[in-house]
Amino acid sequence: MDSGEEKATTFLSRAASSLPPPHAIRDLLSHGVCVRCIFRLFGVSEYDDSCPLLKASTLLSLLEEQRNIPNAISENGSIANDLTQCPYDPHASGNEQPYCSVCLGILQFTNGHDQDLRTCESNSVSVLTSAITEILKKEAHQIDGFSIEISLPPVVSANDRAIWLYMKGRYASEEWFIGKLLSQQISVKDALRSLVTTSLESCLGVKSSSSSFRIRLTYIHEEASSKLQCSMQKFHGFKRRKTETNCKERMVDDLCGKNETISGEFHRCDSDAVVHCTLNAMQDDAFSELFMLPPEKTNNGCKLTISCYRLPVYIGGRYLKFSRRVSQSRWMIEDERMGEASVEVRMLGSGRPFLVEVSNARVMPSMVNIQEIADKINNSNDKYVTVRNLKLVGSEAWNLLREGEAEKQKQYAAVVWISRPLTEVDFNKISSIKNLDILQKTPVRVLHRRSPMDRKKIIHWMMVDKIVGTSQHFLLHLCTQAGTYIKEFVHGDLGRTHPSLGSILGCRAEILQLDVTDVKMDCFD
Amino acid sequence: MEMPKAELSTPSSTPLASLQIKKEDETLKAVSFPSAGDRAPNHGDDLRSLLLPDAHHLPVTPPSAIETNFTCYFALDFLKPGHDQYVYRHANGLCVIGLAPTHVALKEEGGVVRVDFNVGKSDRSEMKVTGKRKRNAKHFESNTALCKVFTNGNFFLARCCVKGSLLEVNDRLIKQPDLLNTSFFGDKGYFC
Repeated sequence: MDSGEEKATTFLSRAASSLPPPHAIRDLLSHGVCVRCIFRLFGVSEYDDSCPLLKASTLLSLLEEQRNIPNAISENGSIANDLTQCPYDPHASGNEQPYCSVCLGILQFTNGHDQDLRTCESNSVSVLTSAITEILKKEAHQIDGFSIEISLPPVVSANDRAIWLYMKGRYASEEWFIGKLLSQQISVKDALRSLVTTSLESCLGVKSSSSSFRIRLTYIHEEASSKLQCSMQKFHGFKRRKTETNCKERMVDDLCGKNETISGEFHRCDSDAVVHCTLNAMQDDAFSELFMLPPEKTNNGCKLTISCYRLPVYIGGRYLKFSRRVSQSRWMIEDERMGEASVEVRMLGSGRPFLVEVSNARVMPSMVNIQEIADKINNSNDKYVTVRNLKLVGSEAWNLLREGEAEKQKQYAAVVWISRPLTEVDFNKISSIKNLDILQKTPVRVLHRRSPMDRKKIIHWMMVDKIVGTSQHFLLHLCTQAGTYIKEFVHGDLGRTHPSLGSILGCRAEILQLDVTDVKMDCFD
Repeated sequence: MEMPKAELSTPSSTPLASLQIKKEDETLKAVSFPSAGDRAPNHGDDLRSLLLPDAHHLPVTPPSAIETNFTCYFALDFLKPGHDQYVYRHANGLCVIGLAPTHVALKEEGGVVRVDFNVGKSDRSEMKVTGKRKRNAKHFESNTALCKVFTNGNFFLARCCVKGSLLEVNDRLIKQPDLLNTSFFGDKGYFC
């Protein structure tokens, strides 16, 4: 015996009390159940995958040996190894089923080539692990943890139940079966997850955790899934048969029976969630009517798609904008397309909050990285933009930002001209305004793309900063409700904003320049 | 001229708090009016110096918002002599239509005394356009009647002058027909 077999023997002697007797195992093998599935159907886990997986033949011979040992404590009863009962002979050719009838090849880790699964010793999970590692390398991911997501077709759990009901039907009276429960089964998903996790952890040197890096394994088996859908239709049909004329359903059943592809019109495809729900609610007898017990053998395995990606990374902060696309000769009437766009607004003061979403980042940025980004922006030669408080934030930042937009106040500084000199009375009138209600019709300049409506807004306060050397120009500081149209408040927009600065002062007012000096949000401060 | 103290209640310390200007700052340093290639300030600069323009660069009489943002067209003697109207067209394609200062109605004693949007077929002031897609906007030809303009002795029909969809009617004219006579603090007496 080599060391592999030694390990296997040790393992088996521990597992023997859970495993069924050899004649039952032969039976399962003859129905195309793979060795890993046999282990997990009886709750045997922790098979150390560093040893090559037992071939069916080895498994059988080891088990039979164990039972022949006179002092073996076997609670599995004394059913004679009635080899004639079970047709399975692992050494005979022509008896083989390449893909497991229960897990559909998922736990058999083929490497994609048509290899002989019965004899292949290395259908080890390392096949899958290598494929994943390849992808990680190819897509240049750097990770310090991972989280595995597995998606299996519902037919696999239907198969688990089918094989169980088959065994119950056949072995319920045998002593070894009494006390065994469906709930002791390890699901394909759990078995796969633990195999892959252990293997990946040792291969990549990082731990599985609730990480933002996802490795998604999606298994699809079209043939088995469409057969399942047929059964689902039949089941729905049974339920409706009492109440409806059902030529449609019968038509579907006929088609199902012939295994033809069903046109979209007649075939109502249930989603995976609905299928799971329906199956869970189904009683054993209904299930047994619809499904083959044990599950049918299959010639195809599942198709696996591996995708590796990082959940979005969010970087938030505040930015300041120092340029405006304005020329000295702005007041000459230029090409009409220049229009309003030329009075562009700078963002000064504490800056405006912003959020950047990075999809599928190859590396998780650290605080140091973020600081480097901020420094690079702020030290660049063209100082059009600077950022403040740049940092990593969670996905809730989106909601914070959205809420803030609608509710918060903003502060502006506008260069204003009026049609007569500013007086002390004007000055005081402006400074004494507190929380003034104004009504703004949608400004003409945006009316082509916004709804026509009246907007109530509040001017919280205003302050005049006189400009030396001019009596009709001044700097107006104002703090308003978010969403207020400042330019229209100054010039009145043909009377569609009321009151306006002009109507308050009793003269014509024009806006020459506008800057945002503060965006009062509790965001990225 | 006194420089005011910053009477602002701003949270914690924002750059604006540094607006407490001492008397010597009254003579503004020659900060040039921001040009297209603006740069960020060095650490020592005030937010204020960024904001304040140099008086020398400010236009003495800037053009009005209408002159800046609209192209002003005039329809003279539209369908009848002396019936002069304006069409102010915004870059986004929307048009504001009104009585030109040379319109014959404005030459009468007392000018315009009443405006009635009921032009027989329908009352223009009753239309309601909703939504971004501007549903219910009635399609008008250039000779479609907009409203009746009454003076002390006469009335005149104002026309659309352009082909398009009516978005909004200036119903302020119903209560304040005088808006058509003089531009009131920028509140122009336009029809629609």
